[in-house]
Amino acid sequence: MKRPISLTIDELLYQRLHGHLFPGDNDEHGAVIAAGIAETERGTRLLAREVFLARDGIDYVPGQRGYRALTAQFVAEQSDYCAAQNLCYLAVHCHGGTDEVGFSGDDLASHRRGYPALLDITGGGPVGALVLARNALAGDIWTTKGCYELDYTNVVGSRVRRLFPNPRPRPRHAAPLYDRSARLFGDLGQEILTSLKVGIIGLGGGGSLINEWLARLGIGHIVAVDFDRIELSNLPRIVGATRWDAMSWLAGQRSEKLRRLGKRFASRKVDVARRVARRANPSIRFDAVSGNVLDESTAKLLVDVDFLFLASDSIQSRLVFNAIIHQYLIPGVQIGAKVPVIQNNEVGDAFVATRPVLPYAAAGCLSCHELIPASLLQEEALTESERTSQRYIDCPDVVEPSVITLNVLSAAQAVNDMMMIFTGLYREGVKLPHQIHFVRERLMNQVESMADEFCPDCSNTVFSRRARGDRVRLPCRE
Amino acid sequence: MLAEVEQAIKDIRDAFDGHRVDVEPEPQGGAYVVVHDLPVGDKYVPAKTWFGFLITFQYPRADIYPHFVDAQIRRSDGRPHGAGISGPTQWQGRAAVQISRRSNRLNPSVDTAATKLAKVIEWMRLQ
Repeated sequence: MKRPISLTIDELLYQRLHGHLFPGDNDEHGAVIAAGIAETERGTRLLAREVFLARDGIDYVPGQRGYRALTAQFVAEQSDYCAAQNLCYLAVHCHGGTDEVGFSGDDLASHRRGYPALLDITGGGPVGALVLARNALAGDIWTTKGCYELDYTNVVGSRVRRLFPNPRPRPRHAAPLYDRSARLFGDLGQEILTSLKVGIIGLGGGGSLINEWLARLGIGHIVAVDFDRIELSNLPRIVGATRWDAMSWLAGQRSEKLRRLGKRFASRKVDVARRVARRANPSIRFDAVSGNVLDESTAKLLVDVDFLFLASDSIQSRLVFNAIIHQYLIPGVQIGAKVPVIQNNEVGDAFVATRPVLPYAAAGCLSCHELIPASLLQEEALTESERTSQRYIDCPDVVEPSVITLNVLSAAQAVNDMMMIFTGLYREGVKLPHQIHFVRERLMNQVESMADEFCPDCSNTVFSRRARGDRVRLPCRE
Repeated sequence: MLAEVEQAIKDIRDAFDGHRVDVEPEPQGGAYVVVHDLPVGDKYVPAKTWFGFLITFQYPRADIYPHFVDAQIRRSDGRPHGAGISGPTQWQGRAAVQISRRSNRLNPSVDTAATKLAKVIEWMRLQ
């Protein structure tokens, strides 16, 4: 297993587990987590999908060797479920204390007795155990190749927290460059931002703003994905793009051949984004990915980011974004602006959307909100000639209006959401509903959350991808 | 071809057992499918036709529509085809009539390419 090894659990699931383990009686309680797994160059992440609470005196009883133990029947039921669902089995119990926790000798001995058999039952696991104090978590993870300590746990919600087995050293003072920011976030907040890897899908008007702001915030690593090149009509919106990038003297030529040459040699949007990010923060690590997130090899570059922005218009990329969020438990936000032009060139109900998506179970993802229509997925998969012949578009050259100041409205809220989530500045219990800003009415609407209990992305039904990590395929082209 | 698309084609072969099913993979992992000699009822002449459609690479999340049938098909009462049926057009090199039936409430765990085809045939019979 690649180190570090971590557990990611969403805030709602963690609260349910924590409430069961620490009801206020100072006694020991137990549970089992069924988890998916993701392995990348950044390490191995166990992804908590479901928690099965062990009932005191029925499933969690006085042990023959230790103080308490899960019953054989409870272990069998949950491990069979994990085997059938191709998930990892993690037994959980609690200890006293607050900021430091570890396994007892009895605990470790029971792992040695039980986990080799559980590895067989679950088809190779991994399996393991977690022990929690009120504000600390340790883990002992078993695979067919060896045993590993869990390095840390990420609790993902409107405030992302990291739990360790023991207290961490104080963070270093933030660099003078970030003095003013660190006065808001603290040194720890700035250190967290510097450690983040953030993905951006779409480096057009909205994505290019996000990119620059992330770099100026001091984000350590950006993965920017876009297959497009700069065009003359992009210059009023894409941060940092120049006439040279758009090959403007060729783009304006009468000759089709010269115009095509201009398009061919125009700068890639991701290369412009890299230039902008490095000007803002020369030490940033920047992956400029000239590709389409619909391709599996490109989408896979985003499965280990800490946060994901979607700033692309297509419904197909919405599906992939929503899948990554829930399959890999990564918080994210989708932004967009819609300026419909109706008959007689009259501007319709122009709006700007900011849609945070937290990886909670059946709690209102883009699919639950009917923002990924099956019919549009089908239409977008057609070739241009098929679309034309099937009359889904009257003219392939139709493009919607787009203005940088409208993009700013959603991009700024999106980056602020990310910043507040990771620096812990959102107050406890803050909800992150979708926001729709109707610009002609100067009206901001909060969208009531819609949840589909059978959602194929975010529910816990057997056919849902939620928290399965590498063990199911993303909805991409191979 | 992606596994989900292969499964969809297997479901079609099972559901329409005895009918010839032609499959042509497309570059993104989906497939163009034609199911032959499907009965559409005595409201049409001929009463049997082929049905063609594209299963895209994001199936089962993506809908399957439109469907296409042989351009020769006419209503037996002599009236023109109603709303939802348009053409003639060309589909995969065939002269065809387009049947546009979107699934606005598609449930990918229940709605398969085979059930969609069955619903489209049934809808056509009722026109």
